[in-house]
Amino acid sequence: MTDLLLFQLRRVGRNRQYLFFTVLLPALFTIFFTKVIGGQLQPGDYQDVAGATMISMMAYGAIGAALGATIRLAFDRSSGWLRQLRVLPVPPAATLAVDVLVGALLVLPSLVVVALVGRFVNGVEFPLGTWLVLLAVMWAGAVVFVALGVAVGLALDAQAAGAAIGILGAILAALGGLWFPVEAFPAGMVPLAHAMPSYWYAELGRDLAGGTFSVTPVLALAGFGLVFAAAARLVAVRRPLHAVAG
Amino acid sequence: MPVTPALDIAELTVRYGDTVAVDALDLQISPGETVALLGANGAGKSSTVNAALGLFRPSAGRVLLHGRSPAEAVRAGGVGAMLQHGGLPSESRVGEVLALVRRRYDQPWPLADLLATTGIDGLLDRGVDALSGGQRQRVLLALALAGAPPLLLLDEPTSAMDVEARQAFWTTMRGLAGRGHTVVFATHHLEEADAVADRVVVIAGGRVVADGSAASIKSRVAGRTIRFRCAGPRGDLAGLPGVTDVGGDADRVELTTSDAEATLRALLAGPRSLPDLEVRGATLEQAFLHLIDASGALR
Repeated sequence: MTDLLLFQLRRVGRNRQYLFFTVLLPALFTIFFTKVIGGQLQPGDYQDVAGATMISMMAYGAIGAALGATIRLAFDRSSGWLRQLRVLPVPPAATLAVDVLVGALLVLPSLVVVALVGRFVNGVEFPLGTWLVLLAVMWAGAVVFVALGVAVGLALDAQAAGAAIGILGAILAALGGLWFPVEAFPAGMVPLAHAMPSYWYAELGRDLAGGTFSVTPVLALAGFGLVFAAAARLVAVRRPLHAVAG
Repeated sequence: MPVTPALDIAELTVRYGDTVAVDALDLQISPGETVALLGANGAGKSSTVNAALGLFRPSAGRVLLHGRSPAEAVRAGGVGAMLQHGGLPSESRVGEVLALVRRRYDQPWPLADLLATTGIDGLLDRGVDALSGGQRQRVLLALALAGAPPLLLLDEPTSAMDVEARQAFWTTMRGLAGRGHTVVFATHHLEEADAVADRVVVIAGGRVVADGSAASIKSRVAGRTIRFRCAGPRGDLAGLPGVTDVGGDADRVELTTSDAEATLRALLAGPRSLPDLEVRGATLEQAFLHLIDASGALR
């Protein structure tokens, strides 16, 4: 399975568009938002804004990476590769497991690059332990979006899935308060933000960065994760890997 | 003890909703045979091949490949396949895909020979997305052969190829058959079946409607019809050289013949006048209908 994993990682590595949207863009946004909003603030407030922006962009990059990696299932179905694998001695479960693993692994560069930019370009300061816990927990939390991406990647054909992932990413970012903080939302839209897994994902990060911990984001994320995983499972049964696109 | 068939299909039935794609089909193929599954689109060829590969569970019946279930045969490298809807992974190189697949087998086909046999020597560093249709099919063939399988199942393997690539492909296939591989391929091209297979199985309506040597099938399929007006006695017509069937109505005779020239010579040498004489080649569709009629499969 290691060879299949490396094979898949090498393929994604060749996709410049993917790397741009999941690593470079969140990193640039981190600098841009912080400098635009934080520029006129007092040092203490600046730290808060820079930290919150960084966490939003870590979440944004991680979500994009998780969705973008798993959508490949739809591409591989369209090209006939998934069907081809089915007549080679590769168990379907291994194919799916590898793509889940690829999604999970590719989240890490997004998180790390944005964190590095936050620390060394924007001057965000946390104790070392906080950094490590923040990265580890946000990495683990991204599995929710891997499950969502697998469900969409299996359910839709390449073109529709490509569009769906783009739209989903934008909705999760905009309504989940990753581009503009929820505090800036009109009161009527706050419940909408709270209905987004992306909000709770970033909230989890903000709690950790603030040195606090509350159980609500964890429960909310776990709930979304279970729903997405159940959906992915259902689709995988109804539309197996070797089913022909179209 | 009888030899275990390379492919043993018994009472295979495949249904999609209310449609019966394969209807209690029986087929045995011995090791070393080269067999064409010949049929029109929708005849049930692909469904038969896909069921033989375990791509779906048949509604009824049984498929064994060298005595093993499809899933076992695939896992053990006992069968290689080219699918109609199979494909290659984007953003990869030919050599990477080949290496990935060869590593799945305990005893893969030796690389140098695999490349030479499938004619993809120069393509290892090529990106999959930059291959031509013919090259793509050759790479897919290399994947099918990677485990050195005794049995090859090919579903319309030449459909994306131009004439030249097609010829080269079948030359390769003849070579494989000569090395003892059992080759089973689905096609709707009579010429392909004729040129490559030593046994042709005609499938229509999900059943086997004819099964024999390429030559014997061809004589039935490549028949021509001769028509003319005739009011007199017809008793002698069935005995003319080449004639396989006498039909028509009260006014016109329609002869089906496997050798139009011989039949015509005999007719012209005879005493009969032949008003409104027509000679037509039977199309493949007509031939299939004829075969189906003869077998009573759809009655």
